[in-house]
Amino acid sequence: MARLVMFHGRECPHCKKMMPLVDKLEQETPVRFERLEVWHDEKNADLMRSFREAIAPKCGQQLRVPTFLNTETKDAICGEVDFEKLKDWAQKQG
Amino acid sequence: MKKRYWRCFVCNDIHYGIAPPELCPTCKVLNAYVEISAEEARKILGGGPDIALSKEDFRAAIERFTAGNEFEVNPDADKVALLLTGIYENEKNHGLKYCPCRLQTKDWEEDLKLVCPCHFTIHETYKGVKDGECWCGLFTRRK
Repeated sequence: MARLVMFHGRECPHCKKMMPLVDKLEQETPVRFERLEVWHDEKNADLMRSFREAIAPKCGQQLRVPTFLNTETKDAICGEVDFEKLKDWAQKQG
Repeated sequence: MKKRYWRCFVCNDIHYGIAPPELCPTCKVLNAYVEISAEEARKILGGGPDIALSKEDFRAAIERFTAGNEFEVNPDADKVALLLTGIYENEKNHGLKYCPCRLQTKDWEEDLKLVCPCHFTIHETYKGVKDGECWCGLFTRRK
């Protein structure tokens, strides 16, 4: 199964809003996300920066949170999305 | 064109930009700015009064900033409180009031674009959007 990462910020309201949707998705499907906080953990921040070329074109040319990333295919979505969109994206990742 | 430092020869206001202001905003003298080095600018600013800006002061400052604009501070008080906490955490841990909903790239010029308030009126989340917001949602189009 692909490694799916959710980059998030502790004080980001969009991330806070997406967390219950990610929890729900994991309860309902085999999809699993690795939740990595980026403003209080430099290692996680460096990992997110290392995927800048993949993330930025999907996120207004910036590193924005929340970002959902498949670290193998480099496919990403970012921002607040509804449950169905997140589910569709995650299930397409294989 | 690169930004440079300028000093008003009358009142010592410091300006950082590609050109000096024609009129000094403090002493109102025309053509008063002379170019100076970054070191001189830092020494002048560094020797000035140590003016702190608490979270409450910053909140008041952004209210004043929005007063004459087409956008306002988000009426959602919980969202604003969380964002202000993040902005102040980032200033404490990373040096500037970086947006809690983006991440530093470690490129100085690039990261200045993340300092709150950022130039969000050109972003796709605001420009031409009826209920537009800045990326984090601290500022929202006035209804």
